[in-house]
Amino acid sequence: MQIAYYPGCSLHASSQLYDIQCRKVFRQLGIELKEIEDWNCCGATSAGKTDYFLSVALPARNLGIADSSGLSEMLIPCSSCYNRTLVSQKILSENHELKNRINTELSSKVEGKVKISSILDILVSRADSGEIAEKVTKKLEGLKPACYYGCLLTRFPADIKISDDVENPRGMEVVCKALGAEPLDWSYKTDCCGASAAVNDTETSLSLMAGILKDAVARGADCLVTTCPMCQMNMDAYQDRVCDMYGITTKLPVFFITELMGIAMGFTPEELEIDRHFVDCLGLLKGLKLV
Amino acid sequence: MSLSVVQVDYKLSRSLIREVMDRSGQNLLACYQCRRCAAGCPVGDETGVTPDRLIRTIIFGDREKALSNLLVWKCVACYTCGSRCPNNIQTARINEALKEMGKEDHVEPLLPAVAAFHDNFMRSASHFGRINEIEFMGLYELQNTKREIKKGGGWKVVAGALKSSARLAVSMMKKKRLHFRLNRIRNLSEIKRLFRKAGNGPGG
Ligand code: SF4
Ligand code: SF4
Repeated sequence: MQIAYYPGCSLHASSQLYDIQCRKVFRQLGIELKEIEDWNCCGATSAGKTDYFLSVALPARNLGIADSSGLSEMLIPCSSCYNRTLVSQKILSENHELKNRINTELSSKVEGKVKISSILDILVSRADSGEIAEKVTKKLEGLKPACYYGCLLTRFPADIKISDDVENPRGMEVVCKALGAEPLDWSYKTDCCGASAAVNDTETSLSLMAGILKDAVARGADCLVTTCPMCQMNMDAYQDRVCDMYGITTKLPVFFITELMGIAMGFTPEELEIDRHFVDCLGLLKGLKLV
Repeated sequence: MSLSVVQVDYKLSRSLIREVMDRSGQNLLACYQCRRCAAGCPVGDETGVTPDRLIRTIIFGDREKALSNLLVWKCVACYTCGSRCPNNIQTARINEALKEMGKEDHVEPLLPAVAAFHDNFMRSASHFGRINEIEFMGLYELQNTKREIKKGGGWKVVAGALKSSARLAVSMMKKKRLHFRLNRIRNLSEIKRLFRKAGNGPGG
């Protein structure tokens, strides 16, 4: 099976490991990711904060390319790209004047037919069908992840319905359980980590991260798991500073969901490039005899 | 205890409400001040201004305060307010609209580093169609440095900010998370056309 794939800028730069892992894990599930041609930056949070037209038009160009790819579904692993693209599609389905204005500039016109899927949309359906459990060669026994969704996977600045619960999503837990892990219940799974403020308003973002980390540690989690490269980078790269500043003594590895999938499917840490984390992950995995 | 009396100039307030509603696409008049948004806003404690307060400010026609307050600049676009509002009011969209209006009115950004960050992200996107993190961070730091120098001898501030960015860059390099190859799209002229068309208000 083939589906369209929009990696977005961060998966082609600082979170390249996530791109590599997505391709490997999906191939193992029998899904080939076909990267769409000549895609552009979706504008992320910054487009909305500077120019409304661009916040719709930049993802629209990618939607046009996806619509003309002949594939019916497109995976967008980055939560920010996923959110912006879905919102653009929704706005254009309601505002035909804007759609025409944008389409006059595009060589591949937006039609609005491609189905946009988050990584969890696809993984949860494969967990429910038993396909994930079938591919597990090493159960993640003893691993206690706190599943961290962040903001943009479940909340949109437009009226968009999702299949999971907005206040208490549980899709990632379903996937983790299919891998043999024991995800914990906790209170901060959809709280904001302040990734968009990390560089320009660091104090704000550090204090938001402290709340998340403290709760995860207090619940007895041994790691965080996320699907968003913005959250992963933020919670991983700044964790030293958060811990120093807020007196948190336990550090938690911040896994991409594809890393837990990959390990459970028998990939080595080298194949998954897990050494590119800031907070060490290998110690935990070795301690639990998972690698 | 003293009570303060709020004075409202209805002409001013009506035009401000209309402008913000048109540009943000949000129905401010539906707000009944239940403050569910305030309870969930992660920056509310810091800003003092919560989404409900901001909406009140607009309803009272206080343009100056509406265009320049901490919520507009510290909003982390988490969309908690909008997903909890019983009337579907997305304050994040209101904040974005107010930022655009402030820029058009030549109001100095209350938090210039935040403005510089998002402006330069978009600048970087316009150059190559994709973000090149090194270029983007370079543009951003350059603008911050220029501003601090212009303000007069803010060397300590500049050095502090640069040190923080350098620290991140060095650890990213160690972890092989700094990307040196240029990301660029082929059909750049299409992106440039979209950027030229921008800045004409809300989708219109
Ligand atoms: S939740 Fe909605 S209705 Fe309630 S105060 Fe906030 S904006 Fe107004
Ligand atoms: S989107 Fe902005 S205003 Fe709304 S809750 Fe989040 S930080 Fe507060």
